[in-house]
Amino acid sequence: MTGGVWGPSGAGTFRGAPVSAAAGGHTVSPYAAAFAAAAGRVLRRPGELAVRLLFYTVILVVFAALWSAAAAATGGHVAGYSAAALLWYVTVAEAAVVATKPRLIEDIGVDIGTGAVATEMLRPVSVLWLRLASELGEAAVRLAMALAIGTAFTWAVGGAPPARAGALLALPSAVLAVAANLAAQHAFAGAAFWLSDAKATWFLYQKLVFLLGGMLLPLQLFPAWLERVAWVLPFWTMAYAPARLTAGSPPQPWLLAAQAAWLVVLAGAAAVVFAAGERHLEVAGG
Amino acid sequence: MTDVRVLLGTMRTAVVEAWSNRRSFWVQASAMILNDAAWVAFWALFFHKIGQVRGWRSDQVMLMFAILATVTGISMGLLSNARKLGQLVADGQLDTVLTLPVDPLAYLLVRRVDTALLGDLAFGPLLFAVAAHPTPQRTALYVLGALTGSAVFVSFVVMLGSVTMVAGGRGEQADLGFQALLILASYPLDVFGGLTKLMMFTVIPAAFLTGVPVHLVDHFSWATLAAMLGVAVGSMLLAGVVFRAGLRRYRSGALWTRA
Amino acid sequence: MPAVEVDGLGKVFRGGGPRRRPVEAVRDITFVVEPGERVAYIGPNGAGKSTSIKMLTGILHPTRGSARVLGLTPWTQRRELARRIGVLFGQRSQLWFELPPRQSFALLGRIYGLDRRTTAARVEELGALLDSGDLFDVPVRSLSLGQRMRCELVATMLHAPQVLFLDEPTIGMDLVAKQRFRELVVWLNRERQTTVFLTSHDVSDVEQVARRVIVINGGTIIYDDRVAAMRRSVLSTKLIEVRFEEPPAGGSLDFDGLRVLRESGTEYKLVVDTRRRSIRDVLDTLLDTERVADISVVDPPLEDVIARIYGAQP
Repeated sequence: MTGGVWGPSGAGTFRGAPVSAAAGGHTVSPYAAAFAAAAGRVLRRPGELAVRLLFYTVILVVFAALWSAAAAATGGHVAGYSAAALLWYVTVAEAAVVATKPRLIEDIGVDIGTGAVATEMLRPVSVLWLRLASELGEAAVRLAMALAIGTAFTWAVGGAPPARAGALLALPSAVLAVAANLAAQHAFAGAAFWLSDAKATWFLYQKLVFLLGGMLLPLQLFPAWLERVAWVLPFWTMAYAPARLTAGSPPQPWLLAAQAAWLVVLAGAAAVVFAAGERHLEVAGG
Repeated sequence: MTDVRVLLGTMRTAVVEAWSNRRSFWVQASAMILNDAAWVAFWALFFHKIGQVRGWRSDQVMLMFAILATVTGISMGLLSNARKLGQLVADGQLDTVLTLPVDPLAYLLVRRVDTALLGDLAFGPLLFAVAAHPTPQRTALYVLGALTGSAVFVSFVVMLGSVTMVAGGRGEQADLGFQALLILASYPLDVFGGLTKLMMFTVIPAAFLTGVPVHLVDHFSWATLAAMLGVAVGSMLLAGVVFRAGLRRYRSGALWTRA
Repeated sequence: MPAVEVDGLGKVFRGGGPRRRPVEAVRDITFVVEPGERVAYIGPNGAGKSTSIKMLTGILHPTRGSARVLGLTPWTQRRELARRIGVLFGQRSQLWFELPPRQSFALLGRIYGLDRRTTAARVEELGALLDSGDLFDVPVRSLSLGQRMRCELVATMLHAPQVLFLDEPTIGMDLVAKQRFRELVVWLNRERQTTVFLTSHDVSDVEQVARRVIVINGGTIIYDDRVAAMRRSVLSTKLIEVRFEEPPAGGSLDFDGLRVLRESGTEYKLVVDTRRRSIRDVLDTLLDTERVADISVVDPPLEDVIARIYGAQP
């Protein structure tokens, strides 16, 4: 029967691209190929994509209602954000989070636990980078579509984004946000291994992003001590950064630099986790 | 009519099963409790800077969340199969149940318990006790509200899941439906505009999960109570009808079952 | 009263088939099963086996024809019938996964309206009968598939059903587990006179469990006879496995009605067409003309027989 927490053994959950991706005579980097293949995969499943985007829209509508009511109750501004600004904040923050697959930590945990990762180790490419490239490919499509829908909705309801200059930076910031999120989840998958419960780990991770990442509410609403905690942790790079750039003023380009720095750290952590996982598999068998 | 004792016995076995893997039980229940705590923290932070929203203060929202947690604890924790009805049909579990001398819907509903969601069932009453000024009257109304809210929730997802018996699939429409229901029920009712609010009283009855119960506890009236009970009973009856209709179609082969 | 009576039973799935057209899964099946029989109901994939069993157990309504199991109409008297029959689907479970089977048995006993003492007694009896008592206090998750299916069988037999329906029960099991399971089913039939109705892909299920085989293909029954008769009547061949003391001379195996299937050194496998040449004849010839070290005459494998039957479309 099944193997406890990790689910049925056998085929892993990772649907990564094959390594040898020769395109038209040239050899494409396997990571680029994985990225493209993943993006293609998402587009070829319009039903799933539509569900995700519908979900995003519902949350957007709910939060739009909540924050407009909140702004109205406090005389038009909450922690320096106008009602329209809050709307933009939520649009971008949600999009950055919705872009990542909900079960990712669970899936990674399953693949590590069942040893499906072991088969990936046979290929002459890094298991981790291939996976990240692939996940980024999928997320990029979702992010683009969510931002498109969100922008259309919010522009119609609340007008143009308050911080024009910042809004331009928001796009690369959103990409960095998603990348950081993905890297962190791969690092967290290691925790899933120790807790023996990937679902619970993902659940808690998600709350950290929601709360300390500023997805649910801007960091400026936190009491001072909590705001300090949030700044020390990497979660703000995953939602707050692009949202703040879009909705807040003055523009803070240094956020992008900080995001990039955190991305490197998180990717490093993920690399350590995966290396440990691979070592474990080499020693203990798949 | 399947013996109530048999159904209770089945639910008891399901609880025993969830309890049997002690470690998993605590990990999952704790994760849920932490999750709920995070949401409470969110609301606390929200109201810290924003005094009230459309007549809702921190108190009401805590009451709302306590009711929500209790409702999800019952509807997704104790009766965890309700929202998985579509999957169960697709996997042939309905066939297995049809070979037993029991009422298929009742048995399916009590057959499995979700450990994680039981955490909600612990958190909800706790939050009520701590943050919602429990008096005997308020407590009784809270319990009543949670029970009727659960009845509406379960009925709703059962109706959606029953579609699988006729149209096939794995119950994805039920997933969407219940997620929408849950999201809408997680925020103060009066935050929503006219059209959405109307929807929440009809097509996606989220208002009856938290909004109306909160109102009942804070401003008791016999009319509200009667309305809530009416809606709860009505939705249960409707769910029964829809399920039986689906079952008739299923058994007469509207769906190509794996031969 | 027969255990199972089927008359002109048919089932059309409306517009749910692979190309959204109505599919006639079962066309017109008729047979009678007497109490105490062991029947294998076999056919290729998509033949209508599962659909038939689902109609007989009350899960599906037929579109035409009638059937009675123990005198009851399954689809209208489902719950009443459920108390008298046992149904075991391969790959599906009645048992609670995390709990020891004993606890599942206790609950199932209550579902069937048995009191605690009766349930406990039956559990002990079946545990002894099926040699599985030692499995009852271990969580189901720790059991192998074969062990689990044995416990499922106990669960199915708790209420002493008169008819046992088994739908691909040995699927996924290893050889030894399959063998064990089959023995237990036969044992139940002998000890309790439980009528056994088994669908399967596995030909060995037919050989080892069934006395009678009903073959369904394309929704209709194309064969219904005793297993023993099946071999004789359908294929008029026999296999001879012979080991010579030295390789036989050139033409000695060259005669009408005899064909060499395989040869390696001194060991030969020969096929005899008994319509052209009797076994007696062949044996006489072989023993007279060659120095035979060892010889045996066997029936053709049942797969060949059944494949031949499948091939014979109505």
